[in-house]
Amino acid sequence: MTEKIIELDNISVTFKQKNQTIEAVKNVSLDINRGDIYGIVGYSGAGKSTLVRVINLLQKPTSGKAKINGDLFYENTDGHEKVIETNKLRKKRRKIGMIFQHFNLLNEQTVVQNVEFALKHSSLKEKEIASKALDLLKLVGLEDRANAYPSQLSGGQQQRVAIARALANDPEILISDEGTSALDPKNTIQILDLLKRLNNELGLTVVLITHEMEAVKRIADRVAVMENGEIIETGNLLDIFTNAKHKLTREFVGTESASSKALATLKAAKLVQLDDDQECIQLTYIGSSVSESLIVKLYKDFDVIANIIYGNIEILQGTPVGALFVIVKGSVENRKKAIKFLKEQDIIVTKVEEGEVFNG
Amino acid sequence: MAELFAKYFPNVVYQGWNGDGGWLPAIGQTLYMTFWSAIFGGILGLVFGIGLVLTDSDGILPNRGTFSFFDKVVSFFRAIPFIILLAFIAPVTQKIVGTQIGTTAALVPLSLGVFPFYARQVQVALASVDHGIIEAAQSLGATFSDIVFDVYLREARSELIRVTTVTLISLIGLTAMAGAIGAGGLGNMAIAYGYNRFANDTTFVATLLVLIFVLLVQLIGDFLARVLNHKNI
Ligand SMILES: Nc1ncnc2c1ncn2[C@@H]1O[C@H](COP(=O)(O)OP(=O)(O)O)[C@@H](O)[C@H]1O
Ligand SMILES: [Mg+2]
Repeated sequence: MTEKIIELDNISVTFKQKNQTIEAVKNVSLDINRGDIYGIVGYSGAGKSTLVRVINLLQKPTSGKAKINGDLFYENTDGHEKVIETNKLRKKRRKIGMIFQHFNLLNEQTVVQNVEFALKHSSLKEKEIASKALDLLKLVGLEDRANAYPSQLSGGQQQRVAIARALANDPEILISDEGTSALDPKNTIQILDLLKRLNNELGLTVVLITHEMEAVKRIADRVAVMENGEIIETGNLLDIFTNAKHKLTREFVGTESASSKALATLKAAKLVQLDDDQECIQLTYIGSSVSESLIVKLYKDFDVIANIIYGNIEILQGTPVGALFVIVKGSVENRKKAIKFLKEQDIIVTKVEEGEVFNG
Repeated sequence: MAELFAKYFPNVVYQGWNGDGGWLPAIGQTLYMTFWSAIFGGILGLVFGIGLVLTDSDGILPNRGTFSFFDKVVSFFRAIPFIILLAFIAPVTQKIVGTQIGTTAALVPLSLGVFPFYARQVQVALASVDHGIIEAAQSLGATFSDIVFDVYLREARSELIRVTTVTLISLIGLTAMAGAIGAGGLGNMAIAYGYNRFANDTTFVATLLVLIFVLLVQLIGDFLARVLNHKNI
């Protein structure tokens, strides 16, 4: 059922400058399924833009293999470079829309001319191009600004024009490289919801590059985390949020900072002073809630007192995800047993101070 | 009125409207030289300016050899003082125009004198186009000519008008020197008939006419640059 629309195999991108070489992307393999919203997160400089620019070959890799929508765009696995022919690439690029942080509209052309520019080489007649451009502007809610110049629009409106332009040739993939990063929160949400709508209605595959986890949280199905040119973790959104393996991922997801912040606050307020028989743990659970009886059970069966100090719940992909910060008190042996029991209940247990996930 | 003018500007009146040394031919020669060398030098400058931007290392057709060729030619011609270029280029002028002196002959050194200046200005104007816009166009499958005409030239049009204005004004300055090879014009009027004959009034009026010409070019250029700019209103 699921079909790969983007296949990146061992992609490396190296920039050679006068006195240094920068390995912006190192041996990255990434498959993206048709119809997915795939988030790629990481700090600035991680190599996200360089990696996604390989998808439409705005950036030619140094080695690896890139197959997009069934077409081989690039291959160099044995020192022989095979690159898709320029004319063909031009046509294929029209099926891969891209939006940017700074919109990159043509400033000297009106909103509707910007969309028409994308249709310049389509097989449509002049009249059809004009009406298609208007339809696209309707789709993004900007038909009444068709004759305005980009500088007369707000950032959110400009990005919507950019989306209309990117969709002009009915692409199957839309890449957003920090497409919401220059927008205020309200516009960010509008654009993200528009992308989600396009994904639902047109079956558009969306590649969402961002350094803002909130964007990914709102619409992504799957997530990859990048650091220093490498993908360090991939998974579906829920997994990444509830069960991240990597410290950086947790940092991004916010569990790291939320928990350490919670603990620091409590410590500072002298509300928590962990004795030898106490520890602070985070319980993350999906779907159902941690029932009170569980806390009672910990006391009755394991002689462990659990004290809830902080709780939080979020909705991810329509599923509630809860986090509880709990101080457990009891002997080392009993605490171990209690934690083992919690994990058997499909609860993810994280020791807060060290930020380590218990394995078991 | 006319009597008063004749009293204070006797030499101006002496030159007369028409004929050898007349005002109308002088004005005509300046306009002629400015117009045609702007066309020839302008085309040459545009080609070199566009070539420089496209073949630069971050351009859309990076090619070190071609870039370096454009760059060297432009630098070479820019380095030659115009008054020396007039003489230096004379054999070439002879080949192209058939004579080394006169107004039409002056078009060759004028075009060659103004094009490197214009090429550099065009280069700077085009380089001011945001690279992101070019990438966006490429991501839409734009062709080479789309990028040159719809992106580079159109996006930079206001900036191009501005540098064209500057270039035209300096070209008017160069035409004044072309008198040295018998090209006539207002510059020649100011020197040959004014300065050399101690006719200060002639120099004054010739200068005034050049100033009016420069001012008009500036006003029209500023107006167009403003009207054609939608970047940041
Ligand atoms: N054209 C380039 N030339 C040289 N270095 C580059 C170029 N593009 C990106 N880099 C470098 O590659 C690294 C990754 O950059 P980028 O892909 O833009 O990261 P991100 O999008 O995650 O912020 C950075 O160190 C950046 O400086
Ligand atoms: Mg980036």
